[in-house]
Amino acid sequence: MDATVKSHFISEQPKAPAKPLVLWRPTAKTGFVSWLTTVDHKKIGFLYGMFALFFFLVGGAEALLIRLQLMVPNNTVLTAAQYSTMFTMHGTTMIFLAVMPLGAAFFNFVMPLQIGARDVAFPRLNAFSLWTFVAGAIIVNIGWFLPDGAPNAGWFGYAPLTSRNYIPQHSVDFWVMGLQLLGVASIAAALNFIVTIINMRAPGMTMMRLPVFTWMTLITSFLIILSFPAITIALVELMMDRNFHTNFFEVSNGGMPILWQHLFWVFGHPEVYILILPAMGIVSEILPTFSRKPLFGYPIVVFSGAAIGFLGFAVWSHHMFTTGMGTVATAAFALATMAIAVPTGVKIFNWIGTIWGGHLQMRTPMMFALGFIWMFMIGGFSGIMHSAAPADAQQQDSYFVVAHFHYVLIGGSIFALLAGIHYWFPLIFGRKVSEFWGKLSFWVIFVGFNITFFPMHFLGLNGMPRRTFTYDGNMGWNSGNFIATIGALILGVGIAIYFAVMIYTYFKGEKVGRDPWDGRTLEWSLPNPPPEHNYAVIPTVHARDAFWYEKHHKEEIAKENAEHSKAEDEHGGIHMPHQSIYPLVASVGILIAAYATSGMDSNPEPGIHAKLATAIIGGVIMLVGVFLWSLEGADGYHLHLDKDGKPIEDSHAHH
Amino acid sequence: MRLSSLFTTSPARTVLAHWSRATLALVGLSLLAGCDYRFWKMDGPQSTIDVAGPVAKNQLEIFYVTCVVTFVIFILVAAVLAYATFKFRARTEAEEHAEPPPQGHGNPLIELGLIGASVLALVIIAIPTLRGIWYTHDVPAAEKENAYTVNAVGYQWWFRFEYPNEQIKDVGPLVASNELVIPAGRPVHVNLRGMDVIHSFWVPRLAGKVDMIPNRANFLWLKADQPGYFWGQCAEFCGDSHAVMRFRVIALGPKDFNDWLEQQSSGARTVAPVAAAEKATAQFASLRTDWKRNEPGYTEKYDLNPLEAWKEKQFPDKGENAALIAQGRELFKSKTCFTCHVVRGHMVGGSAAYPDLTHVGSRSTIAAGLLENNDEQLTRWLLHPNEVKPGNRMWTEGYVKNNIKLNTEEVSALVAYLHSLK
Amino acid sequence: MSSHAASGTVDHHHDASTATGIPNKKLLMWAFLASDCMFFGTLISTHLIYRLHPPAGNPEPRVVFDVPLTSFSTFILLMSSLMMALAVNAIQKGNLRSMRFSLLTTAFFGAIFLGCQVWEFWHFVHEKHMTITNSILGTTFFTLTGTHGLHVLIGVIWLISMYFYSFTGRVGEKQAIDVESMGLYWHFVDIVWIVIFTAVYLLEYL
Repeated sequence: MDATVKSHFISEQPKAPAKPLVLWRPTAKTGFVSWLTTVDHKKIGFLYGMFALFFFLVGGAEALLIRLQLMVPNNTVLTAAQYSTMFTMHGTTMIFLAVMPLGAAFFNFVMPLQIGARDVAFPRLNAFSLWTFVAGAIIVNIGWFLPDGAPNAGWFGYAPLTSRNYIPQHSVDFWVMGLQLLGVASIAAALNFIVTIINMRAPGMTMMRLPVFTWMTLITSFLIILSFPAITIALVELMMDRNFHTNFFEVSNGGMPILWQHLFWVFGHPEVYILILPAMGIVSEILPTFSRKPLFGYPIVVFSGAAIGFLGFAVWSHHMFTTGMGTVATAAFALATMAIAVPTGVKIFNWIGTIWGGHLQMRTPMMFALGFIWMFMIGGFSGIMHSAAPADAQQQDSYFVVAHFHYVLIGGSIFALLAGIHYWFPLIFGRKVSEFWGKLSFWVIFVGFNITFFPMHFLGLNGMPRRTFTYDGNMGWNSGNFIATIGALILGVGIAIYFAVMIYTYFKGEKVGRDPWDGRTLEWSLPNPPPEHNYAVIPTVHARDAFWYEKHHKEEIAKENAEHSKAEDEHGGIHMPHQSIYPLVASVGILIAAYATSGMDSNPEPGIHAKLATAIIGGVIMLVGVFLWSLEGADGYHLHLDKDGKPIEDSHAHH
Repeated sequence: MRLSSLFTTSPARTVLAHWSRATLALVGLSLLAGCDYRFWKMDGPQSTIDVAGPVAKNQLEIFYVTCVVTFVIFILVAAVLAYATFKFRARTEAEEHAEPPPQGHGNPLIELGLIGASVLALVIIAIPTLRGIWYTHDVPAAEKENAYTVNAVGYQWWFRFEYPNEQIKDVGPLVASNELVIPAGRPVHVNLRGMDVIHSFWVPRLAGKVDMIPNRANFLWLKADQPGYFWGQCAEFCGDSHAVMRFRVIALGPKDFNDWLEQQSSGARTVAPVAAAEKATAQFASLRTDWKRNEPGYTEKYDLNPLEAWKEKQFPDKGENAALIAQGRELFKSKTCFTCHVVRGHMVGGSAAYPDLTHVGSRSTIAAGLLENNDEQLTRWLLHPNEVKPGNRMWTEGYVKNNIKLNTEEVSALVAYLHSLK
Repeated sequence: MSSHAASGTVDHHHDASTATGIPNKKLLMWAFLASDCMFFGTLISTHLIYRLHPPAGNPEPRVVFDVPLTSFSTFILLMSSLMMALAVNAIQKGNLRSMRFSLLTTAFFGAIFLGCQVWEFWHFVHEKHMTITNSILGTTFFTLTGTHGLHVLIGVIWLISMYFYSFTGRVGEKQAIDVESMGLYWHFVDIVWIVIFTAVYLLEYL
């Protein structure tokens, strides 16, 4: 942890003029309080990453239990109820608590660096997003420790199974409330990224010079702000049904359960792209770096990303081909789904075009990135098979689908995220992972992954349905399941090696200097780990692959930077935002209120008054946090750098 | 800083190669475990490949089209990718540090060509897809005349099948549970309804699934080309016991089908009155009762030829003990079974929301297609319903709520009675 | 970066410290409103879908609704938007007193709208016997208009907070963007109401 803390601050923070005590601004740069009150996008990104990796391991453990239960027919490792909980939590955890926040970690850490900014547009809002995400994660998982149990109605929560009639326990309420908090956190973070990318670009960093990862961050953020409202409202409707006896999905009063599916997938399909577009962005950074040539067809890669995002809102019903939508609707969604394969294919062509004619350096990130292309291709092709609606009627909710989306989400998203960790590890921690161990973990993961999920295609075609806790031995599914479980164990070993290597490298890895990969984008121009203010001088961008250009036009850039540095000093120096405790306070208030309300229903029950009081206390804490947050204002202070680039003290400056 | 040469030294590479070989050996081992003929052939009872009707056949053909198209594209793209990776890989220190290649940004013509080719490939898939969507939607107009209609209703966790064409006087349509008998060679239009949560009706060898959604009038059609016995399963997660919500479809030739309808339309079978000398002796004392959770509930004989097993079930069992059956019939009343389950002609009571047991003895399976309908398994089911099917309503609303306790003698009487209901 | 706004006159349509010249807060508000559109879009869709599939026993909307009253509250809300625009205009000219008056009037009109809504809800529940639990129409109507009412309530609280905050001496021409963002929100809530009024009330009389 202290690698990022050890930024180049050596001086005491300037003292603020006298203020009411409640508007105290924390200034600690190290220690526990500094992490709780940080507004530094790098620290926040790091925290996102740590939470995400923790939940990645939790979700992985859940998956291993599922695979153990299915290893042999008629197995009894888990009961039916435990199995339901396990696959519900595996899906929810992996999507909302592992892959999304891991993407957010990179958005936070890397994106501002890539556009030459000193922070995101709203640093405190960024902290609020992080802590609200943590609150949501706690609520989703809190059922493990309570008699009601963890959520057990599937990550998709189809009505009316989620109604009080069928699941009276609060397990579903925790799921509903947790997902709403995660939605708030995601939307707040996405709004921040949108403003940051559009408004905080360094001079000369035009939109068509943005690194592709930043582009994908932008598109993903738009998908988040436009798709999360649909699920949030659906969850509100479900919550109203469960707690206030409304009729949104109440069959006996004319409610239509199919409505839930539409609202869920209007969110759910863009969500798939929310998971995969950041991965595509990461791969589009790694391939050019290790091929030592620019991305092939940059504009087309960007536009195809945007097209995927746009079309992603028009294909949701392909998750519902078996709901009896009628011929015309089915045909329309089938064709739209096929159409989305075109921009996806274009990206693959361009990645191959990127490595074509390059000098490929087979480093670990490159291995993962190439693995991504292979696995994503297989996942994409089985996706095309699903777009043929009549064929999908056989595949829907079978293990064929399980195979398909794990190829997209593990072979796709996770491979790219693991590649990204390797790629940016030297920048974040100043150390580099051993190539031998990195490649070993890659091969074990790659092999284990394929052994796990390739047989599932066959299981699905042989009629094995999803979400089944047991199966009989006479269905022809025994070998496939056995192989898949062996594969899952190999995959688990691979992940264990990966994590062990990361931890080892963090403490003992080889130290590297600036720009270890001969990078192309601006973040590599920084020392590692980057100082809190990121750039001593805001860079001026002259070309795509801005840092590559800098390295080949050193004199021009040095002259320019000197001028800009002088100009900025005359304007008062580097402006930095103050830390703040109130985003955390607001999130803690939300956590308390959410916990109390998700344990309530409108029927009088023992303890209802205590719960109500707790909810009100939580709400008040949140409101106080928000009010003081706005009262303390977006203050900051100024930094000057000495000739070695170290910050020297400056008097407090009002924003 | 330039990359140090640490990672490309030969000893590390040798070790890596060694580990790769070890991993590959492991892969081979698990592939060896895959030397299961049936697994690769995918001809299980719920196969979507080994199809037995025109709907599933159409869906399979479309699947094959997508396979061929994507396989061809995959081969082409993968070959180029593999070639590029191999060809342009830096092999030596010198190659790693060579002058960077030309910094070209792409070629619009290649891009456009590839986009055009992708669209063309998708059109190949789109045409049969569109035709298939309309074909699989409902019984084709030409066959409408000949179509037979049934209703399938999903409950947690079993299926009710109604025959609207076979109205029974003062009762309503003929009702069957968990085993749908259809005429072979005729298109069958199945109306699908969900009564509690969402279920999905899936008989893979006959047709793809369509969901049974509350407040929604869904349907599908299917046809079995030949008489046969087909496995079906609920395909939408519907609660904890979703995995054990199964059913069967039995397709019969015209005569068999009519015979079956006739038999089912009559009331429950009553065994001849008890002879004075006959005593109700529990017949099943030797049966296993120590069943473990999830243990398979079928015999090899049934598994080898389920259609034959089903046909045998249509006739009364040998050695029926009339006294025991009479005792079972009494227990069926005194243990309040009749308040939920209909036994048409024997007692008044029951509702459509619970499996109709009028002809339960003629079914090849019980507990929604989970267990073979033999003495041993029915005993197991009646003794431990919650272990067989966690959370089922016979357990929660019956045994638990009404505090019903059954000993083995009572169960054997009930089994005798239920199996007499042909 | 944004610490050195030009001294002297403030250009309210260009912020030199951002890459696009659009102030960050304004962009944030626009993006948020885009998101909020989807929130309301989902709720309105829910209402309209059930309008097309009314179950038996659903109340007849024309019997329940009181269009003259709602027209009045709609008009009041429109007027509040006018006052909001005046408030933004006043602060951009540095006229603090005028801004306070307009803010307070906006909040007052907003409160009248809320009052009408509370009365309407009470009336529907007690006189027309349509509750949130007894019918689909009640469920979708109260949830949709209630969510909108919540937006108005938040707006009123925000307006009043800004009114009091303006006495601290920390609201001036340079902070006009804060009032302007609030104005964007308020206008949006107003426009959404126009859509709801059309889709929920007027549509029944076509």
